[in-house]
Amino acid sequence: MGHFNNFMQRPLSRREMLGICKGGFGALAFTSLFGVLPFGCDRPKNSAAETGLSLGPHYMPKAKNIIFLYMDGGVSQVDSFDPKPRLAKENGEDPKKKFKVDATQFDNVGKILKSPWEFKQYGECGMPVSSLFPHIATCVDDIALIRSMTSNFPEHTNANYFLHTGSGIQGRPSMGSWMTYGLGSENKNIPGYVVLDGGLIPPGGLDNFKNGFLPASYQASILRTGVEPVANIKPLERVKNLQEEKLQFIKQLDNSLIGKMGEVDAVESAISNYELAYKMQSSIPELTEFKEESKATKKLYGFDSDDPHTRGYAAQCLLARRLVERGVRFIELTCPKVAADRWDQHSNLRDGHERNAHAVDQPIAGLLKDLKSRGMLEDTLVVWTGEFGRTPFAQGTDGRDHNPSAFSMWMAGAGVKGGTIFGKTDEYGYRVIENEVTIHDLHATIMHLMGINHEQLTFRFGGRDMRLTDVHGHVMKDILA
Amino acid sequence: MELILMLNFGFLEDPADILIFFGRFHPLVVHLPIGFLILAAIAQFASRWPKFQPIQPFLHYLWALGSFSAFLAVLFGYLLSLSGDYDTDTLFWHQWSGIMVLALSLACYLVFKKQGKNAQFVKWSLVVLVAITITYTGHLGGNLTHGQTYLLEYAPNPIRGMAGLPPKKEPRPKVTVLDSADIYLDLVQPMMDGKCVSCHNPGKKKGDLLLTSYSELMKGGENGEVVVVGDAGASELFRRITLPENHDDFMPSEGKRPLTDEEVDIIEFWITAGAFPKGYVTKLDSKKEITETVYTYLGLDKNSIFNQTVDPPNTTLIDSLTDNGFIINRLMRDNYFLDANFSLSERKIARTDLDLLLNLKEQLVWLDLSHSGVTDEHLQKLGQLENLVKLNLSGNVISDNGIQHLSKLAHLESLNLYDTKVSEGLIDLLPKLSRLKSIYLWKTHIGDTLAVRLQEEYKNLTIIYKRETYK
Repeated sequence: MGHFNNFMQRPLSRREMLGICKGGFGALAFTSLFGVLPFGCDRPKNSAAETGLSLGPHYMPKAKNIIFLYMDGGVSQVDSFDPKPRLAKENGEDPKKKFKVDATQFDNVGKILKSPWEFKQYGECGMPVSSLFPHIATCVDDIALIRSMTSNFPEHTNANYFLHTGSGIQGRPSMGSWMTYGLGSENKNIPGYVVLDGGLIPPGGLDNFKNGFLPASYQASILRTGVEPVANIKPLERVKNLQEEKLQFIKQLDNSLIGKMGEVDAVESAISNYELAYKMQSSIPELTEFKEESKATKKLYGFDSDDPHTRGYAAQCLLARRLVERGVRFIELTCPKVAADRWDQHSNLRDGHERNAHAVDQPIAGLLKDLKSRGMLEDTLVVWTGEFGRTPFAQGTDGRDHNPSAFSMWMAGAGVKGGTIFGKTDEYGYRVIENEVTIHDLHATIMHLMGINHEQLTFRFGGRDMRLTDVHGHVMKDILA
Repeated sequence: MELILMLNFGFLEDPADILIFFGRFHPLVVHLPIGFLILAAIAQFASRWPKFQPIQPFLHYLWALGSFSAFLAVLFGYLLSLSGDYDTDTLFWHQWSGIMVLALSLACYLVFKKQGKNAQFVKWSLVVLVAITITYTGHLGGNLTHGQTYLLEYAPNPIRGMAGLPPKKEPRPKVTVLDSADIYLDLVQPMMDGKCVSCHNPGKKKGDLLLTSYSELMKGGENGEVVVVGDAGASELFRRITLPENHDDFMPSEGKRPLTDEEVDIIEFWITAGAFPKGYVTKLDSKKEITETVYTYLGLDKNSIFNQTVDPPNTTLIDSLTDNGFIINRLMRDNYFLDANFSLSERKIARTDLDLLLNLKEQLVWLDLSHSGVTDEHLQKLGQLENLVKLNLSGNVISDNGIQHLSKLAHLESLNLYDTKVSEGLIDLLPKLSRLKSIYLWKTHIGDTLAVRLQEEYKNLTIIYKRETYK
């Protein structure tokens, strides 16, 4: 067997040796998770070992789960949640005579463009919402709206990385990975971080959902609604025991490899992924069958809609609720592939935004109402956001270009003060003028609601204690209940 | 300059903003003469050594620099004093000793410029005088900005004793439960310390009244007693704090932060109840409103359960619960409060599971038993988990009889009874759950009319009894 040595890893380095001595791979992941202290510092008095429990969140969480409704492409704030009457007054005038116009992506700056949609006030709080979202508008008393979001990037790919990983450059761990790394998953049969694929892969691709430098088991698992939610979920073996025996054999081989090579993340994660995949063969069909769901529930989400995209997104939203019921920590929904591209209307704003809004409006409202009536909104945080906003002036004649200087997003549910509006943009909705909220601030706030101090959840990589918020981020106390 | 001279004679009532603006440069400039003059004094002494002899011809430049910066400091200081924000006594001495510093440093400059013509004695006494006055002026300036007690606040008791100050107080432990709140020691005296003592202390003693201790307070001031036991209306102290703010007699005077409504209420209650030197608030004959005021005043409106520290749970207990299908999580790092979830166990809960759970009674605050086959019988055990804050019983066959067992859950804030068989039994249960903030009752046997009635009765409770549809 001598020649096999060629395939064996080099002997342990001094650092790896020290690392492993600290207590095995699994324990290593966890100690580095919560216990990392600068060299020479004392460990906290109450260490995890005493109780057999992990240290848990830093402080009492408000939210146990997150549903992240990602509005791919950038919803126009002045057409959705940030009414600007001045646009109607000055419709068709040259924006460059009114205010300083930054270079935009396509630099095809047209005239000031009023919103094609009417705004009305809703709920007890009187929050104005445009006629794009008649259903979400019925939930405003549970929604905390932030009108003063900014992004650092005017282009989809970087802006998506920034929104998802806190860095505009590919390769950092996604926020879902950070959450599951920090808090673990409750369900042993379903991964803790799930992306429900609606049909549109966001620009930047799967790197938006990757684990980056965190252990591989924290990356997102992608689920679709429909016949085969997870690719290759159905066993191919005709005889039932055959698959189990195969898996057992593979595990034996892997374990003997670990015996020779020591604990390696790639092998360990592969083993746990196989085990999880096996369990998912039974847990996933149970999850994605909506038999138990009543007709009224399905109708609430929009299963009876004429629009196939509404039906598709309704299934995603219902699935999201079912995942929360099963203890899944972080669920992201991507957008359906409507006929008019993502929310990225560089032209034909009216048609494109209407199609996109129609697909998601009722399912989202249904989700909020369903969660609330079941008491689940109390510990589930629902986050609705795009990666940036759109310009108040036209691109060409009837589109809007990217605008990272201001956009609107909202949160609802656990720990969030419903019916509040935070932040302010100028009279055109072009720039933030009050209470700017950066993507880092958003991450810090989401983590805060999950009971995590964003400055303390770190992972040592490249010689530095990395954070989701890097060296930035402030918790938005004003929207917390 | 003319304008400033005019001001000096009081021609202008309100100083112009621009003067105050320059006045605010005083703290910036004032440290220059301190440094220059002390350096000059040290250099003056040092120049007596042969080694430092060569600096002697340059020393008067240091004095010049010192006196020029002292002039600026005096000028800006005067402008700052026009704002009237400062205690007048201390200000008087600070101002004049500051002017003394200027005069003395100028004298030093003149004396040392014309070397050798004055007697050594005159020279050295001038230098020493500069050093002493500048220290004294600086100290008064510090008192003006930071308050009289700032310097020695954390000094060791012997040093405080030498300065005629009382020994440092042992801070009272923070009140965590209402029952341990003392009417005088935790409420009235801290108010006095915060809002009154800055003028009514041994150093200032305004109106000959001291508010630093109970005995001094009860002794009263130049116009006699300020507290009439049992009669707040007749008490001068209470009258002064409840006058309109622009009244001449209003306290705290000179635009200092007035007492809040809560504080006034508590003082009124204290005097009416008998103005005791100590005693627990809850033991006094107190009305509900005042306990509530005290509650919020002391910041106790959060659930008191989290003010206590609980012991780490037993490892074997956690292991056996986990083996039985419970998912147990810690809820925070600095305490051992736990969250237990049985809803993912894929089996029905048994009495033995609940017996195990009872051992976690102290630590368990969140419990999810939804869709776990809980019955009325089980609820009897559950009702003993007294520290529960959040309880989810949705999707179980439980009824009115069962939920009565939950009446001892005094800390419960959220109760999820969605999809259960409960109905009118809630009318008896709700009054007992005083901390309850939200209750979920969709798909129960409670009709909309009852739910609406309960919602009207319990204004602070969120009752979710139906799923909204679109209009």
